[in-house]
Amino acid sequence: MKIKITQWVYTLGLIILGFGGPVQTALAHGEKALEPFIRMRTIQWYDVAWSKQQFKVNEEVAVSGRFHVAEDWPVSVPKPEAAFLNVSTPGPVLIRTERWLNGKPWVNSVALQPGGDYEFKIVLKGRLPGRYHIHPFFNLKDAGQVMGPGAWLDISGNAGDFSNGVKTLNGEIVDMESVGLLNGIGWHLFWGALATGWLLWWVRRPLFISRYRMLQAGMEEVLITPTDRLIAKAVLVAVPVIVLAVNAVAVNRYPNAIPLQASLDRILPLPALVNAGQVDAEAIKAEYSVAKRAMVFTVRIDNRSDKPVRIGEFNTANVGFINPELPAVSSQAPATAAVLKLDDDTPVRPGETRTVTVTAQDASWEAEKLDGLINDADSRVGGLLFLYASEGGERYISSVSAAVIPKF
Amino acid sequence: MATTSEPMPAVTHIGKRLPWYLQDLPRYLKTFGALTVLYTSLRLYQGAFAVSAGLDSTEPAFEQYWMRLFYIELAVIAVVMTGLWAYLWFTRDRQLDKLSPKEEIRRYFTLTMWISIYTFAVYWAGSYFAEQDNSWHQVAIRDTPFTANHIIEFYFNFPLYVILGGCAWLYARTRLPLYAKGISLPLTLAVFGPFMILVSVGFNEWGHTFWFREEFFAAPIHWGFVIGVWFALGVGGILLQGVTRLIDLLDQIEDAD
Amino acid sequence: MSLPVTTQSIKPYTGEKARLVRAYDYLILVLALFLFIGSFHLHFALTVGDWDFWVDWKDRQWWPLVTPLMGITFPAAVQAVLWDKFRLPLGATLCVTALLIGTWITRIFAYHYWNFFPVNMVLPATMLPGALVLDAMLMLSNSLTITAIAGGSAFALLFYPSNWPIFALFHQPVEYANAQLTLADLFGFQYIRTGMPEYLRIIERGTLRTYGQYAAPLAAFCSALLCTLMYALWWYIGKWFATTRYLSKI
Repeated sequence: MKIKITQWVYTLGLIILGFGGPVQTALAHGEKALEPFIRMRTIQWYDVAWSKQQFKVNEEVAVSGRFHVAEDWPVSVPKPEAAFLNVSTPGPVLIRTERWLNGKPWVNSVALQPGGDYEFKIVLKGRLPGRYHIHPFFNLKDAGQVMGPGAWLDISGNAGDFSNGVKTLNGEIVDMESVGLLNGIGWHLFWGALATGWLLWWVRRPLFISRYRMLQAGMEEVLITPTDRLIAKAVLVAVPVIVLAVNAVAVNRYPNAIPLQASLDRILPLPALVNAGQVDAEAIKAEYSVAKRAMVFTVRIDNRSDKPVRIGEFNTANVGFINPELPAVSSQAPATAAVLKLDDDTPVRPGETRTVTVTAQDASWEAEKLDGLINDADSRVGGLLFLYASEGGERYISSVSAAVIPKF
Repeated sequence: MATTSEPMPAVTHIGKRLPWYLQDLPRYLKTFGALTVLYTSLRLYQGAFAVSAGLDSTEPAFEQYWMRLFYIELAVIAVVMTGLWAYLWFTRDRQLDKLSPKEEIRRYFTLTMWISIYTFAVYWAGSYFAEQDNSWHQVAIRDTPFTANHIIEFYFNFPLYVILGGCAWLYARTRLPLYAKGISLPLTLAVFGPFMILVSVGFNEWGHTFWFREEFFAAPIHWGFVIGVWFALGVGGILLQGVTRLIDLLDQIEDAD
Repeated sequence: MSLPVTTQSIKPYTGEKARLVRAYDYLILVLALFLFIGSFHLHFALTVGDWDFWVDWKDRQWWPLVTPLMGITFPAAVQAVLWDKFRLPLGATLCVTALLIGTWITRIFAYHYWNFFPVNMVLPATMLPGALVLDAMLMLSNSLTITAIAGGSAFALLFYPSNWPIFALFHQPVEYANAQLTLADLFGFQYIRTGMPEYLRIIERGTLRTYGQYAAPLAAFCSALLCTLMYALWWYIGKWFATTRYLSKI
């Protein structure tokens, strides 16, 4: 009890003082905000990797990876007619210098196709030193922010060294950190000075009680003097003249100014990488044991390839469940520790169709707030199932989904 | 800032430095100062702990640094509301019919100070921390109604200005004859309308939970706040009520150098 | 705006009474300053908001339409009281100045110092030239009709040319990612905002097939018409809120 009171007093002290001791920077960024069925069955991320995680101000770092747009897109989530690949950062501590989708550079938003496969790359440049936990994520129009896997980035160096020069089509190089700032401040000061002058002209004389009383007494001519009228006429003429004149100067100075660009990019999906046809996996049934925090799938595998395959991983909402018998595989780095158990882990032979029971048991269901699925109106689980050829290492990916039956 | 109606025992005491009608000026200025320190401290607290502990509501640090602040705020709000409103009510003037013109003038000045304190709180809630919310939504992914800015804006700033507006309303109702005889419509509008902004928080959170995921600030789900703040224009009517009464009262007192 | 015309000479206050009414003026001015920063800014941020926050929202169609339309509201309401009852022609300038004070403080301390956005990315627009004209127009005409039509129109029409000197340079084209962008668009792409994806911008939504791409003047004239109506509407809203009634119960 004593400790608790001390903690409260400490917090109150911090509030009053406005500062406090060191805090471990948060690992998470609200990625559990959306309902599980949205996180599991919209954007399915995999193979996300960073080029490096320690770098200096002004150095660039790339995050690349793939995602599958789930076929079993939830009915209550608007279709991804407009989507924006973003990065969760605590403010622009990095700037985004490039972004690629399926090998094409893009800066606007894009329409995604359910069932489509995409590869992305985002290039970021360090702006403010610090240690930050960063995720790529998708803003889906009217649906929310679907997060990809996060990573820690360490940016060293000096914030003052950051520069961001951009060359305009006229050949001029401008510094994005300061372009137009002094000009903008200058114009605000100019108009602010005129407005202040006008206000002071009036408030220097007796105001409310005096003027109300005189106005009621019909002494209007005393309240507005000929000088006031002259100044008002000057304002009425001079202000529009100044506005139009300085506007004309600006128009002449920037003859090539163009409107803001507002197109929607159209980038087609890649040839199928997920559900590509050679090895099919279909979830027939899913049961979630609340007590054991375990999702048990019944999966039918149809191997039409010419090599035996084994299930290596089930990945949903950035939680990977790995078959420990195939320790080298993971669609994410660093690999998550959750374990995937199979009732029959012998390779599925070419031409064989087999139904297996797959158990993904881990506290992550609860920690990542995925178990809330059983309380959702759309209680279907979805994710990517990774199968590997026993020889050669080919990977086959299936996007699976099934209604969930809770076991209390 | 509240005093009862005994014919100004304090006036002569302060009178050497301040005229009788500005008797409450020092308290007014101190309250301004205290509120400035309070709001600035909250902003500094955000600067210190919002990014480090306020990005995810499921983290233990969030509970420690933000939810605990939220609970402290609720306690402070409850104490301040009860204390101020009870004080103003229980120290009400029960002999308003015997009020001297000078004392009534002084009370109009004090009422103006109360409303000024109220509008100062409206500034922090309606201007600074309100637009700052947009800035914070560019950093944090909204995963709770209790974000690092909402905890201060919605659950402290809003109730605080409601309390201060209520104080102005109660002060007028308990200490000024015209406001005691009838209920001032503009003062009631100016206090109760912005109070509805606090109620609009519920509509806002409902909207963001069920059908509006985007951080578009000018969105219709925010217009409940907008309509609430229009009622602040009732201050124009309060001014007119004050001015007309003060003119009458000034006619009743002697000229002095 | 009718007033009892009973021209009678009254003496101005002198001595203590003069000091008293002057002290009251100052109290009201402080009260009004924070009132209008707080209330007008909240109204403005939640109706114009994003168009004013971000440089990549300031387009030719919506920005010059929405900003004056929502910006003329409080000025009209405050003028209705300050001019009609006090012959003080400063309602519009006071409101817009208050708005800009609140806006600038927030842009610097909330966007820049807290969350590291460059200030030039969040430069506010100005409505001060229009506000000065609106005040002068009301004073010289002493007419709601003329101020609504001429003043309201001027408030809308002056908005874009007042701001072009501030924002034209952000419309310089750059070649980026195999496309043409403005510097303003590039701010939106480079300086990361988690809650403001590109598709959320309500900008440049018209087709403009027949008007030779003169989008901004058309938007401004449309805004001028609407501002005329909005001015008159808000004049009466201002008057209604400035009631001096006392009720027997609420």
